[in-house]
Amino acid sequence: MGRRGAGSGSAAAMPGAAERGSELSEQIEAFAARLRRGGERPRSEDTARQTLSLLRKIVGNGRWSRAGELMDLIRTEGQRMTAAQPSETTVGNMVRRVLKVIREEYGRLHGRSEESDQQESLHKLLTSGGLSEDFRTPYPSLRANVIEAINEMLIELEGTTDNIAMQALEHIHSNEVIMTIGYSRTVEAFLKEAARKRKFQVIVAECAPFCQGHEMAVRLSKENIETTVMSDAAIFAVMSRVNKVIIGTKTILANGALIAVSGTHTLALAAKHHSTPLIVCAPMFKLSPQFPNEEDSFHKFVSPQEVLPFTEGEILAKINVHCPVFDYVPPELITLFISNIGGNAPSYIYRLMSELYHPDDYEL
Amino acid sequence: SEENYLIETFRAQLRDDPDVASAVAAIRALLGFLKQDRGETIQGLRSSLRDAIDTLSRVDSSVAVSSGGELFLRFISLTSLEYSDYSKCKEIMIERGEIFLAKVSLSRNKIAKLCHPFIRDGARILTHAYSRVVLRVLEAAVESKKRFSVYVTESQPDEAGQKMAKALRKLNIPVTVILDAAVGYIMEKVDLVLVGAEGVVESGGIINKIGTNQIAVCAKAQNKPFYVVAESFKFVRLFPLNQQDVPDRFKYKADTLKTGQNLTEEHPWIDYTSPSLITLLFTDLGVLTPSAVSDELIKLYL
Repeated sequence: MGRRGAGSGSAAAMPGAAERGSELSEQIEAFAARLRRGGERPRSEDTARQTLSLLRKIVGNGRWSRAGELMDLIRTEGQRMTAAQPSETTVGNMVRRVLKVIREEYGRLHGRSEESDQQESLHKLLTSGGLSEDFRTPYPSLRANVIEAINEMLIELEGTTDNIAMQALEHIHSNEVIMTIGYSRTVEAFLKEAARKRKFQVIVAECAPFCQGHEMAVRLSKENIETTVMSDAAIFAVMSRVNKVIIGTKTILANGALIAVSGTHTLALAAKHHSTPLIVCAPMFKLSPQFPNEEDSFHKFVSPQEVLPFTEGEILAKINVHCPVFDYVPPELITLFISNIGGNAPSYIYRLMSELYHPDDYEL
Repeated sequence: SEENYLIETFRAQLRDDPDVASAVAAIRALLGFLKQDRGETIQGLRSSLRDAIDTLSRVDSSVAVSSGGELFLRFISLTSLEYSDYSKCKEIMIERGEIFLAKVSLSRNKIAKLCHPFIRDGARILTHAYSRVVLRVLEAAVESKKRFSVYVTESQPDEAGQKMAKALRKLNIPVTVILDAAVGYIMEKVDLVLVGAEGVVESGGIINKIGTNQIAVCAKAQNKPFYVVAESFKFVRLFPLNQQDVPDRFKYKADTLKTGQNLTEEHPWIDYTSPSLITLLFTDLGVLTPSAVSDELIKLYL
């Protein structure tokens, strides 16, 4: 619909574009509202995929002509989406990835070599002649190139769980006792893949108060893996008999630390005490360039109903009840990160980060 | 003579602007030296610059001057690789040198911006001796309306801690000066340790005023984060494995070294803190873990 008729081409194009623009804006609003509401545990991969699709729509249909304008547009929308639910760091990560893609594509079209657009380094400090990029030159093929790159990222996203699971046989050996906590789909795939060729036992900590560990145990036992469920309080007691601890995580921070489900720090400390290796299975899109600092924006508290039900009416007035969802695990407790690009030590995370994101984008 | 002119420029810089880092003053003096150099070849220029750097080290033997000098030499080599014509080369060098100096003057502000979010409201901070970068970070934290208190070690033998305390009181920050020996006692009360550095070595460790290593060991024992703030021109190409490995020319003041007496009777002015004790380094290149420091140095020197 729209006024099509004699008149300048741009006038005819405007109403259609404006409608697409408002539809897009509605979709972003709906996405942000869904994030804000929380509710069921969204799968990180799904959140990442939805974010990328939205960003692709913005690149495709948004009103912009220069790279600089596109980056500002993406940054604004990105800020809106991350503000809705700061604990969903995958949203921010995808926005930063797209910004880096735009910089790279612009650089390639502009004819610059890959090296010169690197982050701050002593080398760059000494050899650069002048000011930084201003992204002002318009390139008509930029739109198509960026959309192509985002499509590649979506394809990469599909394969992350399989890439991680493929490495399972190197790390799990026969007759081992593996411990895990809660329910992580990545760890589930990892263990299932290893179970096809090896025989081992799994102990699952139930991870109160939501007890997702029960679901994990049911799924693993369907694959004929010998599984035991135990309460979180028994973690330390059982740890001496465990060979490896394999866990998933919500976020990997820039210093190699984790934001994982509540109870993981206890597990990590128990593993450290017994010198048991702690392996974290997480895809690269969970790596966030933020450091754990004052903001503490990664914390999420949900209804304390799970801890102390509302039926306990009388005492509720006299006490404070909290139900935090996440835990911070410092990098010294972690042995290895297994991601879709291979295994890495926590001290190497800074390097992976510099490949995925540009330092100017760390602060959205 | 040229030598005296160089020393005078250097000393004048430090006198006129007490806030300037000694490495920056050294680089500025060397740039001035470059401008009035009469040589015709790169080799000649490099050898006269080496002599100039030696001269400056004889005035101020700190690690910072040495790292600033190394950086300047590296800067010359990199530029000379790009341009073969000497006069064009020299022009570019002078231009880039000015740009570099302009950039490093902003580095303290960059670091302050990166570091102050790590200071929570109500934090108790322990710092050591007198560091202008730490002062700038705390100033930025005050500007962002945070309330915190600071413990400063007295830092003998020159009582640099008193100087730091005075500067902090001017910013209306509650400050307590403690004995160097009281660090182990006070550590349970502090939330984080924040120190500057005179030099950052290849392993990611730091060289700083004597006493820093002790503080780092105490902080590790009590699980307190140990943060270091340093500008990127302080990165040096040293890899000490222990305290003995740090060269004597950094440990003692230039005047003491000149007298040539037996150094075993002298007290060193600096010590080496190993990277395993450091949590994070805040530099103008970003927030770095100690393992990332060697990466930066490799990028520059290789």
